[in-house]
Amino acid sequence: MNQLINHHPASFRDPAGFIYEQNGTVYRFVSTAYASHYSLLMDSGLAAELLKKNLLLPFTESTDNHTGRADWYKTLIPQQLPFFSYAWEWSFSQLKDAALATLAVCKLALQKGMILKDATHTNMQWVDGKWKLIDTLSFEKYTAGESWVAYRQFCECFLNPLLLAAYSGLEVNKLLLSYPDGVPASVTSKLLPFKTKFNAVVYLHVHLQAKLAAKPAGEKKNSGKQLSQKNIEQILESLRSCIESLQLPQKTTTWNNYYNETILSETYLSEKKNLVSSILANQSYNSVLDLGANEGEFSLLCREDAQVIATDFDSACIDSLYKRLKKEKRKNIQPLVLDLTYPSPAMGWVNNERKAFFERTKADVCLALALIHHLAIAKNISLQQLASFFASICNTLIIEFVPKEDLKVQSMLHWRKDIFEEYTLEQFEKSFADFFILEQKTVVNGSQRSMLLYRKK
Amino acid sequence: MMQLLYLDPGSGSYLVQVIIAAVLGVIFYFKSGWNWIKSFFVKTPPKKEEEENESAD
Repeated sequence: MNQLINHHPASFRDPAGFIYEQNGTVYRFVSTAYASHYSLLMDSGLAAELLKKNLLLPFTESTDNHTGRADWYKTLIPQQLPFFSYAWEWSFSQLKDAALATLAVCKLALQKGMILKDATHTNMQWVDGKWKLIDTLSFEKYTAGESWVAYRQFCECFLNPLLLAAYSGLEVNKLLLSYPDGVPASVTSKLLPFKTKFNAVVYLHVHLQAKLAAKPAGEKKNSGKQLSQKNIEQILESLRSCIESLQLPQKTTTWNNYYNETILSETYLSEKKNLVSSILANQSYNSVLDLGANEGEFSLLCREDAQVIATDFDSACIDSLYKRLKKEKRKNIQPLVLDLTYPSPAMGWVNNERKAFFERTKADVCLALALIHHLAIAKNISLQQLASFFASICNTLIIEFVPKEDLKVQSMLHWRKDIFEEYTLEQFEKSFADFFILEQKTVVNGSQRSMLLYRKK
Repeated sequence: MMQLLYLDPGSGSYLVQVIIAAVLGVIFYFKSGWNWIKSFFVKTPPKKEEEENESAD
Protein backbone atom coordinates (compact mmCIF):
# COMPACT_ATOMS: atom_id res chain seq x y z
CA MET A 1 0.00 0.00 0.00
CA ASN A 2 2.76 2.29 -0.99
CA GLN A 3 0.88 5.55 -1.53
CA LEU A 4 2.16 8.12 -3.97
CA ILE A 5 4.52 10.43 -2.17
CA ASN A 6 6.68 13.22 -3.52
CA HIS A 7 10.17 12.20 -2.46
CA HIS A 8 12.34 15.35 -2.36
CA PRO A 9 14.97 15.03 -5.13
CA ALA A 10 17.78 16.26 -2.87
CA SER A 11 17.04 13.89 0.00
CA PHE A 12 18.43 10.47 -0.86
CA ARG A 13 21.93 10.20 0.56
CA ASP A 14 21.20 9.53 4.21
CA PRO A 15 19.71 6.09 4.96
CA ALA A 16 18.37 7.52 8.25
CA GLY A 17 15.42 9.13 6.49
CA PHE A 18 14.24 11.48 3.80
CA ILE A 19 12.09 14.49 3.02
CA TYR A 20 8.87 14.23 1.05
CA GLU A 21 5.91 16.38 0.19
CA GLN A 22 2.29 15.45 0.57
CA ASN A 23 -0.61 17.80 -0.21
CA GLY A 24 1.62 20.85 -0.03
CA THR A 25 3.19 19.95 3.33
CA VAL A 26 6.81 18.92 3.73
CA TYR A 27 7.40 15.89 5.97
CA ARG A 28 10.48 14.02 7.15
CA PHE A 29 10.46 10.22 7.19
CA VAL A 30 12.58 8.72 9.98
CA SER A 31 13.68 5.15 9.41
CA THR A 32 14.00 2.45 12.06
CA ALA A 33 17.75 2.46 11.24
CA TYR A 34 17.91 5.85 12.97
CA ALA A 35 15.68 4.96 15.94
CA SER A 36 18.38 4.80 18.63
CA HIS A 37 19.96 8.07 17.50
CA TYR A 38 16.59 9.80 17.35
CA SER A 39 15.72 8.63 20.87
CA LEU A 40 19.04 9.94 22.13
CA LEU A 41 18.46 13.29 20.40
CA MET A 42 15.12 13.66 22.16
CA ASP A 43 15.85 11.99 25.51
CA SER A 44 19.25 13.63 26.13
CA GLY A 45 17.57 17.03 25.96
CA LEU A 46 19.74 17.99 22.97
CA ALA A 47 16.79 18.77 20.69
CA ALA A 48 15.16 20.92 23.38
CA GLU A 49 18.40 22.77 24.04
CA LEU A 50 19.01 23.44 20.34
CA LEU A 51 15.45 24.63 19.85
CA LYS A 52 15.77 26.93 22.85
CA LYS A 53 18.91 28.44 21.36
CA ASN A 54 17.29 28.82 17.93
CA LEU A 55 19.87 26.54 16.33
CA LEU A 56 17.50 23.86 15.04
CA LEU A 57 14.46 24.19 12.77
CA PRO A 58 11.40 23.51 14.95
CA PHE A 59 9.47 20.33 14.17
CA THR A 60 6.61 18.26 15.52
CA GLU A 61 6.08 14.51 15.48
CA SER A 62 3.23 12.87 13.63
CA THR A 63 1.98 9.30 13.85
CA ASP A 64 1.00 9.11 10.15
CA ASN A 65 3.02 6.79 7.97
CA HIS A 66 2.18 8.23 4.55
CA THR A 67 4.81 6.10 2.88
CA GLY A 68 3.54 2.69 3.92
CA ARG A 69 7.15 1.59 4.30
CA ALA A 70 8.00 -1.21 6.72
CA ASP A 71 11.08 0.61 8.08
CA TRP A 72 8.95 3.52 9.26
CA TYR A 73 9.86 4.80 12.70
CA LYS A 74 8.55 8.38 12.92
CA THR A 75 7.16 11.13 10.76
CA LEU A 76 8.30 14.66 11.50
CA ILE A 77 6.61 17.84 10.37
CA PRO A 78 9.28 20.53 10.22
CA GLN A 79 8.45 24.24 10.28
CA GLN A 80 7.54 24.95 6.66
CA LEU A 81 10.02 27.17 4.84
CA PRO A 82 8.58 29.68 2.37
CA PHE A 83 11.85 29.86 0.46
CA PHE A 84 15.10 27.93 0.28
CA SER A 85 18.44 29.57 -0.51
CA TYR A 86 21.80 28.01 -1.41
CA ALA A 87 25.31 28.94 -0.34
CA TRP A 88 26.09 30.11 -3.88
CA GLU A 89 23.67 32.94 -3.13
CA TRP A 90 25.19 33.91 0.21
CA SER A 91 27.67 36.64 1.01
CA PHE A 92 30.73 36.23 3.22
CA SER A 93 29.00 37.13 6.52
CA GLN A 94 26.09 34.83 5.78
CA LEU A 95 28.40 31.85 5.22
CA LYS A 96 30.45 32.84 8.26
CA ASP A 97 27.38 32.92 10.54
CA ALA A 98 26.13 29.63 9.09
CA ALA A 99 29.56 28.11 9.89
CA LEU A 100 29.55 29.41 13.45
CA ALA A 101 26.02 28.09 14.00
CA THR A 102 27.09 24.66 12.69
CA LEU A 103 30.00 24.59 15.15
CA ALA A 104 27.74 25.71 18.00
CA VAL A 105 25.35 22.85 17.17
CA CYS A 106 28.19 20.33 17.14
CA LYS A 107 29.59 21.60 20.44
CA LEU A 108 26.20 21.28 22.15
CA ALA A 109 25.72 17.85 20.63
CA LEU A 110 29.04 16.65 22.07
CA GLN A 111 28.00 17.80 25.52
CA LYS A 112 24.96 15.54 25.20
CA GLY A 113 26.82 12.52 23.86
CA MET A 114 26.08 13.09 20.18
CA ILE A 115 27.97 14.51 17.21
CA LEU A 116 27.15 15.97 13.78
CA LYS A 117 27.56 13.31 11.14
CA ASP A 118 27.39 15.86 8.36
CA ALA A 119 28.25 19.54 8.26
CA THR A 120 27.24 21.00 4.91
CA HIS A 121 25.92 24.45 4.03
CA THR A 122 22.83 22.87 2.46
CA ASN A 123 21.75 21.88 5.98
CA MET A 124 21.70 25.50 7.13
CA GLN A 125 19.03 28.12 6.45
CA TRP A 126 18.46 31.66 7.67
CA VAL A 127 15.02 31.36 9.24
CA ASP A 128 13.36 34.12 11.26
CA GLY A 129 16.65 35.98 11.56
CA LYS A 130 18.68 33.00 12.86
CA TRP A 131 20.87 30.37 11.22
CA LYS A 132 19.27 27.02 11.91
CA LEU A 133 20.16 23.44 11.17
CA ILE A 134 17.27 22.11 9.12
CA ASP A 135 18.30 18.45 8.99
CA THR A 136 17.01 16.84 12.18
CA LEU A 137 18.74 13.57 11.28
CA SER A 138 22.25 15.05 11.19
CA PHE A 139 23.08 13.75 14.66
CA GLU A 140 24.52 10.43 15.66
CA LYS A 141 25.65 8.89 18.90
CA TYR A 142 29.20 9.94 19.72
CA THR A 143 31.58 7.04 20.29
CA ALA A 144 34.62 7.84 22.40
CA GLY A 145 37.90 7.57 20.49
CA GLU A 146 36.39 8.31 17.10
CA SER A 147 37.22 11.36 15.01
CA TRP A 148 34.67 13.90 13.80
CA VAL A 149 33.39 12.24 10.65
CA ALA A 150 32.16 15.52 9.15
CA TYR A 151 35.41 17.42 9.82
CA ARG A 152 36.62 17.39 6.22
CA GLN A 153 33.16 18.32 4.94
CA PHE A 154 32.99 21.24 7.36
CA CYS A 155 36.38 22.53 6.20
CA GLU A 156 35.44 22.22 2.54
CA CYS A 157 31.98 23.75 2.87
CA PHE A 158 32.75 26.55 5.30
CA LEU A 159 36.33 27.11 6.43
CA ASN A 160 38.06 26.96 3.04
CA PRO A 161 35.79 29.37 1.12
CA LEU A 162 35.82 31.77 4.09
CA LEU A 163 39.63 31.71 4.23
CA LEU A 164 39.84 32.28 0.48
CA ALA A 165 37.51 35.27 0.80
CA ALA A 166 39.42 36.78 3.72
CA TYR A 167 42.97 36.16 2.48
CA SER A 168 42.66 36.06 -1.31
CA GLY A 169 39.65 38.32 -1.91
CA LEU A 170 37.59 35.63 -3.67
CA GLU A 171 33.80 35.66 -3.36
CA VAL A 172 32.34 32.75 -1.38
CA ASN A 173 29.23 32.55 -3.57
CA LYS A 174 31.30 32.11 -6.73
CA LEU A 175 33.61 29.59 -5.08
CA LEU A 176 30.71 27.46 -3.92
CA LEU A 177 29.02 27.65 -7.30
CA SER A 178 32.17 26.07 -8.76
CA TYR A 179 32.52 23.64 -5.86
CA PRO A 180 28.96 22.98 -4.61
CA ASP A 181 30.19 20.21 -2.30
CA GLY A 182 32.86 22.49 -0.84
CA VAL A 183 36.31 23.72 -1.87
CA PRO A 184 38.90 20.93 -1.43
CA ALA A 185 41.92 21.54 0.82
CA SER A 186 44.29 20.97 -2.13
CA VAL A 187 42.68 23.81 -4.13
CA THR A 188 42.48 26.10 -1.10
CA SER A 189 46.10 25.45 -0.20
CA LYS A 190 47.22 26.51 -3.69
CA LEU A 191 45.09 29.66 -3.76
CA LEU A 192 45.91 30.97 -0.29
CA PRO A 193 48.84 33.40 0.01
CA PHE A 194 52.17 31.97 1.16
CA LYS A 195 52.02 33.84 4.48
CA THR A 196 49.14 31.65 5.65
CA LYS A 197 51.63 28.77 6.00
CA PHE A 198 52.95 30.60 9.04
CA ASN A 199 49.51 30.79 10.63
CA ALA A 200 49.42 27.65 12.81
CA VAL A 201 45.65 27.16 12.63
CA VAL A 202 45.40 27.71 8.86
CA TYR A 203 48.45 25.51 8.34
CA LEU A 204 46.91 22.63 10.29
CA HIS A 205 43.39 22.81 8.89
CA VAL A 206 44.30 23.55 5.26
CA HIS A 207 47.92 23.09 4.20
CA LEU A 208 48.60 19.99 6.30
CA GLN A 209 45.27 18.46 5.30
CA ALA A 210 46.08 19.08 1.63
CA LYS A 211 49.47 17.40 2.07
CA LEU A 212 48.06 14.35 3.83
CA ALA A 213 45.18 13.95 1.39
CA ALA A 214 47.71 13.89 -1.49
CA LYS A 215 49.57 10.90 -0.03
CA PRO A 216 48.56 7.46 -1.30
CA ALA A 217 46.37 5.67 1.24
CA GLY A 218 48.98 2.98 1.96
CA GLU A 219 51.48 5.48 3.31
CA LYS A 220 49.18 6.82 5.94
CA LYS A 221 50.07 5.14 9.14
CA ASN A 222 47.59 5.32 11.90
CA SER A 223 49.48 6.47 14.96
CA GLY A 224 47.26 4.30 17.10
CA LYS A 225 46.35 7.33 19.18
CA GLN A 226 42.71 7.69 19.93
CA LEU A 227 40.93 11.02 19.92
CA SER A 228 39.30 12.01 23.17
CA GLN A 229 36.15 14.09 23.42
CA LYS A 230 38.31 16.91 24.70
CA ASN A 231 40.44 16.67 21.52
CA ILE A 232 37.36 17.11 19.36
CA GLU A 233 36.17 20.00 21.50
CA GLN A 234 39.56 21.67 20.98
CA ILE A 235 39.33 21.14 17.21
CA LEU A 236 35.84 22.70 17.22
CA GLU A 237 37.09 25.60 19.31
CA SER A 238 40.09 26.24 17.04
CA LEU A 239 37.77 26.26 14.01
CA ARG A 240 35.40 28.63 15.79
CA SER A 241 38.02 31.14 16.87
CA CYS A 242 39.65 31.05 13.42
CA ILE A 243 36.36 31.66 11.58
CA GLU A 244 35.21 34.25 14.13
CA SER A 245 38.34 36.33 13.46
CA LEU A 246 37.98 36.30 9.65
CA GLN A 247 37.03 39.61 8.02
CA LEU A 248 36.41 40.60 4.45
CA PRO A 249 39.20 42.85 3.12
CA GLN A 250 37.86 46.43 3.04
CA LYS A 251 37.23 47.69 -0.45
CA THR A 252 34.69 49.85 -2.15
CA THR A 253 32.95 48.24 -5.06
CA THR A 254 31.09 50.13 -7.78
CA TRP A 255 27.84 49.53 -6.00
CA ASN A 256 28.23 49.54 -2.27
CA ASN A 257 28.59 53.30 -2.25
CA TYR A 258 26.04 53.83 -4.97
CA TYR A 259 23.73 56.00 -2.94
CA ASN A 260 26.45 57.93 -1.13
CA GLU A 261 28.55 58.88 -4.10
CA THR A 262 26.02 58.81 -6.84
CA ILE A 263 25.68 61.78 -9.10
CA LEU A 264 21.97 61.57 -8.44
CA SER A 265 20.54 64.20 -6.15
CA GLU A 266 19.33 63.62 -2.64
CA THR A 267 15.92 64.95 -3.61
CA TYR A 268 15.70 62.13 -6.13
CA LEU A 269 16.39 59.46 -3.51
CA SER A 270 13.91 60.76 -0.94
CA GLU A 271 11.29 61.37 -3.65
CA LYS A 272 11.79 57.85 -4.93
CA LYS A 273 11.43 56.40 -1.43
CA ASN A 274 8.18 58.33 -0.88
CA LEU A 275 6.85 57.24 -4.23
CA VAL A 276 7.68 53.54 -3.73
CA SER A 277 6.25 53.63 -0.18
CA SER A 278 2.98 55.14 -1.37
CA ILE A 279 2.67 52.63 -4.22
CA LEU A 280 3.42 49.70 -1.88
CA ALA A 281 0.88 50.98 0.67
CA ASN A 282 -1.87 50.57 -1.93
CA GLN A 283 -0.99 46.99 -2.86
CA SER A 284 -2.01 43.79 -1.16
CA TYR A 285 0.95 41.41 -1.14
CA ASN A 286 2.57 38.62 0.85
CA SER A 287 5.82 38.30 -1.05
CA VAL A 288 8.19 40.75 -2.69
CA LEU A 289 11.17 40.18 -4.94
CA ASP A 290 13.54 43.15 -5.05
CA LEU A 291 15.90 42.73 -8.01
CA GLY A 292 19.01 44.91 -8.03
CA ALA A 293 18.31 45.77 -4.41
CA ASN A 294 21.72 47.38 -3.80
CA GLU A 295 21.89 47.80 -0.02
CA GLY A 296 18.18 47.15 0.40
CA GLU A 297 16.91 50.71 0.91
CA PHE A 298 13.67 49.84 -0.88
CA SER A 299 13.26 46.30 0.46
CA LEU A 300 13.14 47.91 3.88
CA LEU A 301 10.06 49.89 2.82
CA CYS A 302 8.04 46.68 2.41
CA ARG A 303 5.59 45.55 5.07
CA GLU A 304 7.37 43.71 7.89
CA ASP A 305 5.04 40.71 7.69
CA ALA A 306 5.73 40.15 3.99
CA GLN A 307 8.38 37.70 2.80
CA VAL A 308 10.97 39.79 0.93
CA ILE A 309 13.83 38.47 -1.16
CA ALA A 310 16.41 41.17 -1.88
CA THR A 311 18.96 40.31 -4.54
CA ASP A 312 21.94 42.07 -6.03
CA PHE A 313 24.87 40.81 -8.05
CA ASP A 314 27.32 42.71 -5.84
CA SER A 315 28.20 40.51 -2.88
CA ALA A 316 29.54 43.49 -0.89
CA CYS A 317 26.11 45.18 -1.05
CA ILE A 318 24.36 41.99 0.07
CA ASP A 319 26.90 41.58 2.86
CA SER A 320 26.20 45.04 4.25
CA LEU A 321 22.44 44.55 3.86
CA TYR A 322 22.69 41.26 5.76
CA LYS A 323 24.66 42.93 8.58
CA ARG A 324 22.11 45.73 8.76
CA LEU A 325 19.16 43.32 8.91
CA LYS A 326 20.89 41.37 11.66
CA LYS A 327 21.53 44.53 13.64
CA GLU A 328 18.01 45.87 13.17
CA LYS A 329 16.50 42.40 13.75
CA ARG A 330 14.50 42.52 10.51
CA LYS A 331 13.57 38.91 9.96
CA ASN A 332 11.40 39.07 6.85
CA ILE A 333 14.10 39.98 4.32
CA GLN A 334 16.39 37.37 2.71
CA PRO A 335 19.40 39.12 1.17
CA LEU A 336 20.90 37.05 -1.65
CA VAL A 337 23.69 37.46 -4.18
CA LEU A 338 22.26 36.95 -7.65
CA ASP A 339 23.50 37.90 -11.10
CA LEU A 340 20.29 38.29 -13.09
CA THR A 341 22.08 37.46 -16.32
CA TYR A 342 23.42 34.26 -14.74
CA PRO A 343 20.85 33.27 -12.08
CA SER A 344 21.63 30.19 -9.93
CA PRO A 345 21.22 27.13 -12.13
CA ALA A 346 19.59 23.78 -11.40
CA MET A 347 22.35 21.46 -10.19
CA GLY A 348 23.09 18.13 -8.64
CA TRP A 349 21.95 14.65 -9.60
CA VAL A 350 19.98 14.74 -12.88
CA ASN A 351 19.77 18.52 -12.45
CA ASN A 352 17.07 17.96 -9.89
CA GLU A 353 18.80 18.20 -6.53
CA ARG A 354 19.30 21.97 -6.32
CA LYS A 355 16.61 24.03 -7.96
CA ALA A 356 17.26 26.99 -10.25
CA PHE A 357 16.59 30.38 -8.65
CA PHE A 358 13.45 31.27 -10.59
CA GLU A 359 12.06 27.79 -10.06
CA ARG A 360 12.09 28.57 -6.34
CA THR A 361 10.98 32.17 -6.57
CA LYS A 362 7.66 33.73 -7.41
CA ALA A 363 6.44 36.94 -5.87
CA ASP A 364 3.28 39.00 -5.64
CA VAL A 365 5.26 42.19 -6.17
CA CYS A 366 8.52 42.70 -7.99
CA LEU A 367 10.64 45.81 -7.48
CA ALA A 368 12.96 46.66 -10.36
CA LEU A 369 14.38 50.05 -9.45
CA ALA A 370 17.25 51.63 -11.37
CA LEU A 371 17.79 48.21 -12.88
CA ILE A 372 16.64 47.85 -16.46
CA HIS A 373 19.21 50.19 -18.03
CA HIS A 374 21.88 47.82 -16.71
CA LEU A 375 20.17 44.89 -18.39
CA ALA A 376 19.12 46.69 -21.58
CA ILE A 377 22.21 48.82 -22.21
CA ALA A 378 25.05 46.94 -20.49
CA LYS A 379 23.83 43.43 -21.30
CA ASN A 380 21.96 44.05 -24.57
CA ILE A 381 18.72 42.45 -23.37
CA SER A 382 15.76 43.66 -25.41
CA LEU A 383 12.74 45.38 -23.88
CA GLN A 384 10.52 42.54 -25.14
CA GLN A 385 12.70 39.98 -23.36
CA LEU A 386 12.55 42.05 -20.18
CA ALA A 387 8.77 42.37 -20.34
CA SER A 388 8.22 38.62 -20.76
CA PHE A 389 10.74 37.89 -17.98
CA PHE A 390 8.98 40.11 -15.45
CA ALA A 391 5.60 38.67 -16.48
CA SER A 392 6.91 35.19 -15.62
CA ILE A 393 7.89 36.07 -12.04
CA CYS A 394 5.31 38.46 -10.59
CA ASN A 395 1.78 39.83 -10.71
CA THR A 396 2.54 43.42 -9.79
CA LEU A 397 5.60 45.18 -11.08
CA ILE A 398 7.03 48.44 -9.79
CA ILE A 399 9.65 49.38 -12.34
CA GLU A 400 11.76 52.44 -12.91
CA PHE A 401 12.59 53.55 -16.43
CA VAL A 402 15.92 55.34 -16.74
CA PRO A 403 15.98 57.26 -20.05
CA LYS A 404 18.96 57.71 -22.33
CA GLU A 405 19.31 61.36 -21.33
CA ASP A 406 20.03 60.27 -17.75
CA LEU A 407 23.65 60.88 -16.72
CA LYS A 408 24.07 57.24 -15.63
CA VAL A 409 23.02 55.94 -19.03
CA GLN A 410 25.12 58.61 -20.74
CA SER A 411 28.19 57.44 -18.85
CA MET A 412 27.39 53.83 -19.80
CA LEU A 413 27.20 54.82 -23.46
CA HIS A 414 30.32 56.95 -23.33
CA TRP A 415 32.69 54.18 -24.41
CA ARG A 416 30.45 52.21 -26.69
CA LYS A 417 28.39 52.69 -29.81
CA ASP A 418 24.76 53.53 -29.16
CA ILE A 419 22.99 50.60 -30.80
CA PHE A 420 19.91 51.05 -28.64
CA GLU A 421 17.53 53.00 -30.84
CA GLU A 422 14.59 51.18 -29.31
CA TYR A 423 15.51 52.24 -25.79
CA THR A 424 12.83 54.91 -25.24
CA LEU A 425 10.01 55.23 -22.72
CA GLU A 426 7.49 54.95 -25.53
CA GLN A 427 8.98 51.69 -26.81
CA PHE A 428 9.32 50.41 -23.26
CA GLU A 429 5.62 50.96 -22.59
CA LYS A 430 4.72 49.32 -25.88
CA SER A 431 6.73 46.19 -25.02
CA PHE A 432 5.35 45.91 -21.51
CA ALA A 433 1.77 46.45 -22.73
CA ASP A 434 1.90 42.95 -24.25
CA PHE A 435 1.94 41.43 -20.76
CA PHE A 436 0.89 44.14 -18.33
CA ILE A 437 -1.68 46.86 -17.74
CA LEU A 438 -0.17 50.21 -16.81
CA GLU A 439 -1.78 51.52 -13.62
CA GLN A 440 0.39 54.46 -12.70
CA LYS A 441 3.21 56.47 -14.25
CA THR A 442 5.05 59.18 -12.34
CA VAL A 443 8.21 61.14 -13.06
CA VAL A 444 10.52 60.94 -10.05
CA ASN A 445 11.20 64.52 -8.93
CA GLY A 446 14.84 65.54 -9.15
CA SER A 447 15.47 63.26 -12.17
CA GLN A 448 14.23 62.38 -15.63
CA ARG A 449 13.37 58.87 -14.54
CA SER A 450 9.83 57.44 -14.47
CA MET A 451 8.25 55.06 -12.01
CA LEU A 452 5.69 52.73 -13.53
CA LEU A 453 3.21 50.46 -11.78
CA TYR A 454 2.11 47.46 -13.81
CA ARG A 455 -0.48 44.75 -13.19
CA LYS A 456 -0.15 41.48 -15.05
CA LYS A 457 -2.83 40.87 -17.67
CA MET B 1 26.83 2.02 13.42
CA MET B 2 28.64 1.56 10.11
CA GLN B 3 25.48 1.54 8.04
CA LEU B 4 24.87 5.14 9.09
CA LEU B 5 28.35 6.21 8.08
CA TYR B 6 27.19 7.37 4.67
CA LEU B 7 29.57 10.28 4.44
CA ASP B 8 33.11 9.63 3.25
CA PRO B 9 35.20 11.19 5.97
CA GLY B 10 38.03 11.59 3.47
CA SER B 11 41.37 9.85 3.31
CA GLY B 12 43.71 11.14 5.94
CA SER B 13 40.93 12.92 7.81
CA TYR B 14 41.48 10.82 10.93
CA LEU B 15 45.24 11.34 10.83
CA VAL B 16 44.83 15.11 10.34
CA GLN B 17 42.56 15.29 13.35
CA VAL B 18 45.00 13.30 15.48
CA ILE B 19 47.85 15.65 14.51
CA ILE B 20 45.74 18.78 14.99
CA ALA B 21 44.55 17.50 18.36
CA ALA B 22 48.14 16.86 19.41
CA VAL B 23 49.33 20.32 18.33
CA LEU B 24 46.31 22.03 19.89
CA GLY B 25 46.94 20.05 23.06
CA VAL B 26 50.48 21.44 23.22
CA ILE B 27 49.29 24.99 22.48
CA PHE B 28 46.58 24.63 25.12
CA TYR B 29 49.16 23.32 27.61
CA PHE B 30 51.43 26.32 27.12
CA LYS B 31 48.52 28.74 27.00
CA SER B 32 47.16 27.56 30.33
CA GLY B 33 50.67 27.76 31.81
CA TRP B 34 51.02 31.29 30.47
CA ASN B 35 47.55 32.22 31.77
CA TRP B 36 48.53 30.84 35.16
CA ILE B 37 51.60 33.08 35.24
CA LYS B 38 49.59 36.02 33.87
CA SER B 39 46.94 35.59 36.55
CA PHE B 40 49.48 36.74 39.12
CA PHE B 41 49.80 40.11 37.42
CA VAL B 42 46.53 40.78 35.59
CA LYS B 43 43.07 40.61 37.02
CA THR B 44 40.86 39.05 34.35
CA PRO B 45 37.14 39.77 34.25
CA PRO B 46 34.87 36.71 34.56
CA LYS B 47 34.31 35.03 31.19
CA LYS B 48 30.96 35.73 29.57
CA GLU B 49 28.90 32.87 28.14
CA GLU B 50 28.48 33.10 24.38
CA GLU B 51 24.97 34.22 23.58
CA GLU B 52 25.26 34.98 19.87
CA ASN B 53 22.43 32.80 18.73
CA GLU B 54 20.55 32.63 21.97
CA SER B 55 18.19 35.56 22.25
CA ALA B 56 14.81 34.21 23.20
CA ASP B 57 12.75 35.92 20.56
